[in-house]
Amino acid sequence: MKMKKLVAVLLATMMAATTLAGCGDSDKSGKGSKAAASSKVDEVREYTAFFAVPGNEINDDNEIQQKIAEITGAKVKETWLTGQTAAEAVGTMIAGGEYPDLIDGSDGTAQLYDAGALVPLDDYLDKYTNLKELWSEEEWDKVRQDDGHIYWIPQFGNVYEKDMTPTPAEAFWIQTRVLKWADYPEIKTVDEYFKLLEDYNTANPTMEDGTANIPYTILCDDWRYFCLENPPQFLAGYPNDGSVIVNPETEKIMDYNTIDEAKSYFQKLNEEFAKGTVDTEAFTQSFDEYIAKLSSGRVLGMVDQWWQFTDARDSLKQQGLEAQGCNYVPLALTMDTSVTPNYNTEQAINVANGVGVSVSCEDPEGALQFLNDLLEPEVRVLRSWGIEGVDYEVGDDGVFTRTDEQWTLASDSSYKASHICTYSYLPNYFGLLADKINAATPTEQPSEFVKSLPSDVQECLAAYDCETYLEMMDPADAVPGPWFPMYSYSNAMTTATEGGTAWTKMGEIKHEYLPKVVMSADFEESWKEYMSAYEGCNPQAFLDEMQEELDHRIETSAKYAE
Amino acid sequence: MVSKQIKAKEPKAKFNWKEFKRQKVLMFWAALFVIYGVIFCYAPLVGWLMAFQNYKPKDGILGSQFIGLEKFIRLFSDSTFLQVIRNTLAMGIINLVFTFVTAIAFAILLNEVRSKFGKKTVQTISYLPHFLSWIVVTGILHDVLSGTGIINELLINIGVLNQPLNFFAHPKFFWWIVGFANIWKETGWNAIIYLSAITAIDPSLYEAAAIDGAGRWAKIKHIILPGIKPTIMILLLMNVGNVLNAGFEVQYLLGNGLVQSVSQTIDIFVLKWGISQLDYSLGTAAGIFKSVVSIILIVVANQIAKRSGEERLF
Repeated sequence: MKMKKLVAVLLATMMAATTLAGCGDSDKSGKGSKAAASSKVDEVREYTAFFAVPGNEINDDNEIQQKIAEITGAKVKETWLTGQTAAEAVGTMIAGGEYPDLIDGSDGTAQLYDAGALVPLDDYLDKYTNLKELWSEEEWDKVRQDDGHIYWIPQFGNVYEKDMTPTPAEAFWIQTRVLKWADYPEIKTVDEYFKLLEDYNTANPTMEDGTANIPYTILCDDWRYFCLENPPQFLAGYPNDGSVIVNPETEKIMDYNTIDEAKSYFQKLNEEFAKGTVDTEAFTQSFDEYIAKLSSGRVLGMVDQWWQFTDARDSLKQQGLEAQGCNYVPLALTMDTSVTPNYNTEQAINVANGVGVSVSCEDPEGALQFLNDLLEPEVRVLRSWGIEGVDYEVGDDGVFTRTDEQWTLASDSSYKASHICTYSYLPNYFGLLADKINAATPTEQPSEFVKSLPSDVQECLAAYDCETYLEMMDPADAVPGPWFPMYSYSNAMTTATEGGTAWTKMGEIKHEYLPKVVMSADFEESWKEYMSAYEGCNPQAFLDEMQEELDHRIETSAKYAE
Repeated sequence: MVSKQIKAKEPKAKFNWKEFKRQKVLMFWAALFVIYGVIFCYAPLVGWLMAFQNYKPKDGILGSQFIGLEKFIRLFSDSTFLQVIRNTLAMGIINLVFTFVTAIAFAILLNEVRSKFGKKTVQTISYLPHFLSWIVVTGILHDVLSGTGIINELLINIGVLNQPLNFFAHPKFFWWIVGFANIWKETGWNAIIYLSAITAIDPSLYEAAAIDGAGRWAKIKHIILPGIKPTIMILLLMNVGNVLNAGFEVQYLLGNGLVQSVSQTIDIFVLKWGISQLDYSLGTAAGIFKSVVSIILIVVANQIAKRSGEERLF
């Protein structure tokens, strides 16, 4: 009997000891981060998040993430899209019925709403002033769904004080060596652009090491094929509504697939393909192969979005290919000079996506509190600039700067994973920091921007007497109207409606026929085939639904006009 | 009548409680597998209801509205789906025929190799590709068949082509590229089972044949092939049921806009319209179609085997 008691007591002591040991451990880590001592929050709340866009995961023990957790008492484990489309990833999640706490479905956001996966945020928002103030009443109303509730918080397009963006979005890109060779000419039209590429390639068919140049390539992989299909809207002088053109005078929807500019552009590509200017593998290459080609410095020009070839730019820098002039500068081309290009617009809210709280989240209030805290001035600096003295220096006038070493460190991928934490897909402002002196991100800081440029680009910009990429191309115009951008509606369409079905089919037809048209020996014939297949998708149903949405958006914003 | 006769011929011990207790361990294990089957194979079939509903994840299977065969009608009036069935069947049959023939031929050839070391080495090397994932295999294919790849270089050097040919831009090549990829990846692996069937053949048959003056060729024809015929039949039957599983990864990874009219299989169609477009009902309908056709194929093939007095599955 006694023996048994003794064992019981021993066991109990041991258990208590282990528990204490556990406490001791957590205390230690708490003290290490100085949080436990100062605040009553002794445990960091952890949330999960999924963003249906490509991205890089950071380490679990990331230093700035830890620092933000000390201030806000919470952290978010972010995961990103890998090798799927957004709709596939989101569709799979819905089929499984389990979600991360925070979710941005990107193109699959509407599906999440349809599936009832998101928590309505209206009641919560009033409690979190930072979040509430992120958007105006009018903008919040745009985000409301047909049941009158807000389900997600758009994170982008919110300019604080002043837009500082030095980079364009989509453009015709050209390597600086081509422009330099031609003594920096003014290139305004598609014809001039291709003529220059051809001439340069005839004179210099290879790079310095003997690798053959590829004068022009086109990215055509899966959803990224917009690089092939959407230039006609820009060539006709319209901004990036993405899926349609809106005539601002008549407020009518136009289809950019059938306008004259589309036909002449693809005819031009067809001619260039026959001449061997267009990469023969353009339509069969994967995104990775495309990036590898750009990274090798062989490609003289292409159409792309700035954010899409970041990896290629980093790689060019690491290989020192700026010495050969392999970096890209943007051009705003049109079919003929009578048209004013309108490639870039000021930041606008994209109401179709944003970060939402899922029904699987056990603590929506805590999660929203964290999003709210992320907008605190102190946290914003940590997210974009890093830690003072480590990632940036502060001058006497309060202006932030980075030394060359700090810049190099900031582009190192392992340093990014272990140290930097931007929470890039959680709500934030663009433009300036709360101090109204410094830009929201280091690359936008005017004094820093020039430093971050490769030498060949610096030389090229100087030759054109410009300071930023954007200036060289086409400075941002004001948003054309309250409807902009229309892609926020078409991206959210599903086959549940007739227009959505038409839109999906149009995508498939364009994906198949546009390459055929470009590669065809008889352009007119294949264009005719393409057009008849295109009409077979019933594009009018799609355009009608877009017109309806356009009218609806104009109507909604009229309420706020007074 | 027939069953009665059989019963009369072999009187079976009546299955009673005593018998059950005697076999309790066996019964226990059998029950486990039955439960497993019910839970993981039959219970999920409730999901088939989705195909007859306008399924909305928000409402669930119980709350969604029933719409009868509407989704099936839409499926079969969609020209894309008919194209998809054609592609799946074509690639399935190409895969079946080629992997089958090459595996048997390879096993027989390997069996004829006299050097034990050579045999083992070739066998090991040949089944290694089986362990590569499709993403790697498609990567290799992309490289090999690219404009600067080995195939183009070879064809240009021997004068078949004047300039590099982009194999992935032509719909007519696609099925054969997929078929070739399957052969390359699976021949060695599939040959293992035939090789083991060949080893099981009684060696005295060879001796007897040799005494009768049979050469190598005659031995293959009269001993090996008849000897592995039961194995061949069983595997053929099982593979017929798999014809519609013509693949997903290969086509998904190798396909592009230019060849999408020949590259999409039923599985890709289900992913594209079922998952991406959130039309789970349509996806389920396509899945049911695939299962039903597979069952029909396997039953028909089995019947044919039965009629011709061959080895069969059931």
